[in-house]
Amino acid sequence: MDIDAILLSLKLALWTLVLILPFGVWVAHRIRAAGKSKSWIEAALALPLVLPPTVLGYYLLVGLGGKTFLGIPLVFSFTGILIASLIVNLPFAIQPIQRAFEAINPEIIEAAQVSGLSNWQIFRLIELPLAWRGITSAAVLTFAHTLGEFGVILMVGGAIPGETKTVSIAIYDKVQSLDTSGAGVLSLILLGTSLIAITISYGVFGRQPSCSKEGGS
Amino acid sequence: MLKITLSQATPNPLQLSLECTPGELHALVGPSGSGKTTALRTIAGLNNAETGSIVCNGEVWFEANEMKGVTTSLSPAERSCGFLFQQYALFPHLSALENVCVPLYNSISEPTKRKAQAGQWLHRMGIGELANRMPNQLSGGQQQRVALARALARSPKVLLLDEPFSAVDAPTRQGLYKTLAELRKDLNIPILLVTHDLREADLLADRITVIDQGVGLQTAPPQVLFERPRNSRVAELVGINNKFEGVFTAGKLTWDGCNHVFDVLDKGKIPPNTPVAWVIPADGLSLHNKPSSSSIEADVEQISALGQIAVIQLLLNNKAYTLTWEASAAEVNRLELEVGKNTHVQIDGSKIHIMPLRTINDPRRFTS
Repeated sequence: MDIDAILLSLKLALWTLVLILPFGVWVAHRIRAAGKSKSWIEAALALPLVLPPTVLGYYLLVGLGGKTFLGIPLVFSFTGILIASLIVNLPFAIQPIQRAFEAINPEIIEAAQVSGLSNWQIFRLIELPLAWRGITSAAVLTFAHTLGEFGVILMVGGAIPGETKTVSIAIYDKVQSLDTSGAGVLSLILLGTSLIAITISYGVFGRQPSCSKEGGS
Repeated sequence: MLKITLSQATPNPLQLSLECTPGELHALVGPSGSGKTTALRTIAGLNNAETGSIVCNGEVWFEANEMKGVTTSLSPAERSCGFLFQQYALFPHLSALENVCVPLYNSISEPTKRKAQAGQWLHRMGIGELANRMPNQLSGGQQQRVALARALARSPKVLLLDEPFSAVDAPTRQGLYKTLAELRKDLNIPILLVTHDLREADLLADRITVIDQGVGLQTAPPQVLFERPRNSRVAELVGINNKFEGVFTAGKLTWDGCNHVFDVLDKGKIPPNTPVAWVIPADGLSLHNKPSSSSIEADVEQISALGQIAVIQLLLNNKAYTLTWEASAAEVNRLELEVGKNTHVQIDGSKIHIMPLRTINDPRRFTS
């Protein structure tokens, strides 16, 4: 079993989650007030859903090729696949949170306004707890999708063991080298992880609206 | 003291001026879509008018004119309004107690003290034992009491109530009327109540402003409004059934419903031989089994019993007009009224109120 690939995939998924979730919450909250440009912004953010991964990977390869960040090359490196992962996961991170914010009854926000809360307090005490379900869904989807991402990662990162060779790429390599049992074990791990993630998304967090009971007290 | 003058053309027309003194309960009454809620939301800062001013206890909350545009517009948070929403708008993720804690968030930093004060408000509303319930575990009436406690917790300078009784059943409504009446005495702040229920406004309000298509048509105490509506549109909106047209000349009203000429109060404002609208309140009518020199013969067309009250439709003998008369069941029995029976109606001329006769399509014409 390729432990390095599993650990790398987990590391990539966690970093993606940590970086994309605050950004997703911010964008999803701001997008409501985008006015006429809202449709364009939504379309741009949804593009990774419909764009072939190889196309996205190609543009990232061309765009990031030869460039460095703090001395670290942005292609064929962990930083490179992290950037690719962040871009690919934008729709998975933003859309559920955006839907959750949009589902909040505007009168509740108005009630918070006339209760004397500032915009930041309304966001922190009212909107964020009410959108928690959407944020959880976004987190689970992003995590699971990052674990399974293949095309873009391969294009931008190649298959450098311990650096860019994630579980999906390891499965591909094992199939290429006719190691079907190894590929089967890794596939089973991904299948189980995805199943658990989706179950969490639909089950534990999905049923009850989240609430921060400390919020208003 | 709350003083407002609001004017806007879009999105919803609004042309309204009113004053509400501390301790006064002022009702805004009008049909659906008449601009009542828009007015209330504008006072709270949730909408802005194009021009006008909102001044509360000398503090300018909003000021705008055509020349300079908006010069002052405090945010809803800065206005210190208690706002009770029609559907309560409780925060669904917070318990009843936590809902009431929210308006205290900036004024009391210590959570324990905040909870104690919120708890006191819930006790005052008679729902102290429900403090830990979530909104979806409360009945409509209980939710409304939580919403009222939340609206008052901030010690607002104005209390704004947007159709607060429309979503609760009759017994709950009665309880809430009582609570509101008690609160009024203690709070001593202006209270604006939006309602489309005239009986409710009559029961609760010190003064009523009738609004139609965004225009304030008349402000008056309920009794005055029902007896002396400013014009025929107001009469129509306050549900005065006995509204007719006649010709007025120097204190005399001629009506083709009968041969009698009524002596009515002449304020000297109406020129001779002017067609007018006139109304007669229920207590200006009386029924008799025997005719008199000034009575009008009529047939009982319909009797609708509503509990202890009966509404009787009387078809005058010229068959052109119908009068509506409300009486107690005992009075109906005493007169032995039944459908088809011939009776005699006496109209008390001193109770007749005459008004300018204008079309009802443009309420702005009534504002002059």
